[in-house]
Amino acid sequence: MTKLTQKVENLGQMTVQALERLGFAMRLFWDSFYWLIAGRKYKQRLRFSQVVKYIKSEGVDALPIVLMLALVVGMMLAIQLIYALEAFGAESQVLLAIAKSVTREFSPLITGIIVAGRSGAAIAARIGSQTVSQEIDALNVMGVVPVRYLVLPPLLALIISMPLLIIAADIVAIFGGALFSVTKLDMSISAYMVDSFNVLVVGDIMQGLIKSVVFGIIIVLVGATTGFYVTNGAEGVGKATTTAVVVSISFIVFADMIASFFLTK
Amino acid sequence: MTSQNHKTPDKVIEVTDLVTHYGTRKILDGMNFEVERGEIRVIMGGSGSGKSTLLWYILGLYKPTEGRIKVLGEDINQISFNEHLKLKQNIGVSFQSGALFSSMSVGENVAFPLREFTDLDENTIRIITRMKLEVVNLGGFHKLMPSQLSGGMIKRAALARAIVMDPKLLFFDEPSAGLDPVVASEIDDLILSLRDNMGMSMVVVTHELESAFKIADRITVLDQGKNLLTASVEEVKKSKNKRIMDLLQRRSRHDKLDPEEYLRRLTQENYTLS
Amino acid sequence: MKSDLINFEKDDHHCTLFVQGDVDLSNSSELRKTILSALKTSPLVEVDLADVTYIDSSGIAALVEGLQYANNHDKSFHLKRLSAHVKSIIELARLDQVFTIDD
Repeated sequence: MTKLTQKVENLGQMTVQALERLGFAMRLFWDSFYWLIAGRKYKQRLRFSQVVKYIKSEGVDALPIVLMLALVVGMMLAIQLIYALEAFGAESQVLLAIAKSVTREFSPLITGIIVAGRSGAAIAARIGSQTVSQEIDALNVMGVVPVRYLVLPPLLALIISMPLLIIAADIVAIFGGALFSVTKLDMSISAYMVDSFNVLVVGDIMQGLIKSVVFGIIIVLVGATTGFYVTNGAEGVGKATTTAVVVSISFIVFADMIASFFLTK
Repeated sequence: MTSQNHKTPDKVIEVTDLVTHYGTRKILDGMNFEVERGEIRVIMGGSGSGKSTLLWYILGLYKPTEGRIKVLGEDINQISFNEHLKLKQNIGVSFQSGALFSSMSVGENVAFPLREFTDLDENTIRIITRMKLEVVNLGGFHKLMPSQLSGGMIKRAALARAIVMDPKLLFFDEPSAGLDPVVASEIDDLILSLRDNMGMSMVVVTHELESAFKIADRITVLDQGKNLLTASVEEVKKSKNKRIMDLLQRRSRHDKLDPEEYLRRLTQENYTLS
Repeated sequence: MKSDLINFEKDDHHCTLFVQGDVDLSNSSELRKTILSALKTSPLVEVDLADVTYIDSSGIAALVEGLQYANNHDKSFHLKRLSAHVKSIIELARLDQVFTIDD
């Protein structure tokens, strides 16, 4: 019996903790934009060079792996869809199916997961180790707002680079689909690519881009929040890194489902 | 007296009836504490006496349950967030661990506040940075990363960063902890010359008696979250208060060693302190 | 060029700048500009610091920049009549061994 009450108590405690962190993450988001706008006035300038640095490390450096996986996913989709559509004799529809599913769903999701693994982990580790070594306290007592210095730059960097990654992933994934499909459809790769872009409407591309921005925000906020909550030294930093990746990927998948529901009519 | 001192109030720190909690545990319990301009004040006390806590609250890292904290004449829990940010530029802090930014070189660490808060050009920032490193005897070390520094060098680099904005008030948490006596004594000399030459007021938290007696104008001894005694070095040395005498003599709990009890502590599987 | 912070006397061979009051972040760039422009026109520039009540690091840096410019351009740059405060700050950074200081 005591074991049960203990479990209920633990559950309650975990819920409170989760809600507290959710509130903290919301606060980070709000503060980031507050300092983006008010920063100049109070000598809390956002450094443009810092944003550029993060665009490189979180956007550009992620490009090779994002493109590689996009290519593979495009090919994989072609294989599966042609197999499934053959049953109805509708192989020609594979072009439409790949173009739509890639832009609306697969490239944001894959990119989101990769960036969560790279940047989410990096942000959590960076902020976590700075929390442990009192660097955050040092910023605070100097009068530098940590959010402005540590959260806003990667947040802006991802809001800028996620859509760009998505566009690149869209093109490469469709190309990947083309590689496998052209022989079945008996058309050239360039004709396949042109046709794919013709079947897409603005809404398809926009859905992917909107999702990617949301995913970027989730990744930075989850990474930063777990980082700021680190205790227990180096071991805590390691745990936070894992937590940040798992939690942000879970949130991304949920957000993806919700976004798909509301954006697909 | 320099004219800068006209702008600094007579009392650089005034803490009145401060009560703080950590969770539900009371840490500071009606603390009163004042530091005067130009003074080097040493805070002493055993672990758990609240000496670090007092420092964190004066620095405004946490909000107190009760009481008032005035720093450089400003009530830090009344002024706006942005006024507090400005106030912090007049305050330097050297952390026990140094808290240097590990991703930046020593020079970049020291230059950081100048880059953030001033519009000085790069040449001027470089000169000021190198000058501060000279002051702490780290001339020429600006390119090293914090991970390449020894304990004493980290403390000195942290001190250079703390004084780079010419603060009116400097906090120093455990300047000599973990250093060998020679290096510790160098840091003490540095503290004295900073006060004498720059007219800074300082609050130094330490548990090293020798260092405290050397640098302090007055010593504050904390015990169980209260200000037990604030007095000059001579008065503290002469004090008859038992807790202060304990602290001064550092009576070790191993003084009266019971051999049998000791053996039990070492060998018994289920030994617990009774 | 006349201000609350700096006055100057000038003849063909040298220029003396009289600095007074507080030199801090708000006006150290003025000191720096005045020193550098004086060095462009005179072979010898002296800075009289007798009436300086406070000088911060940016003020000292301005003096160092003056010396740096003078050495690079074959000119002379001297400090003169240091106030007690200036003297203690300059000695803290051991710059008394770098500057030529006249009485």
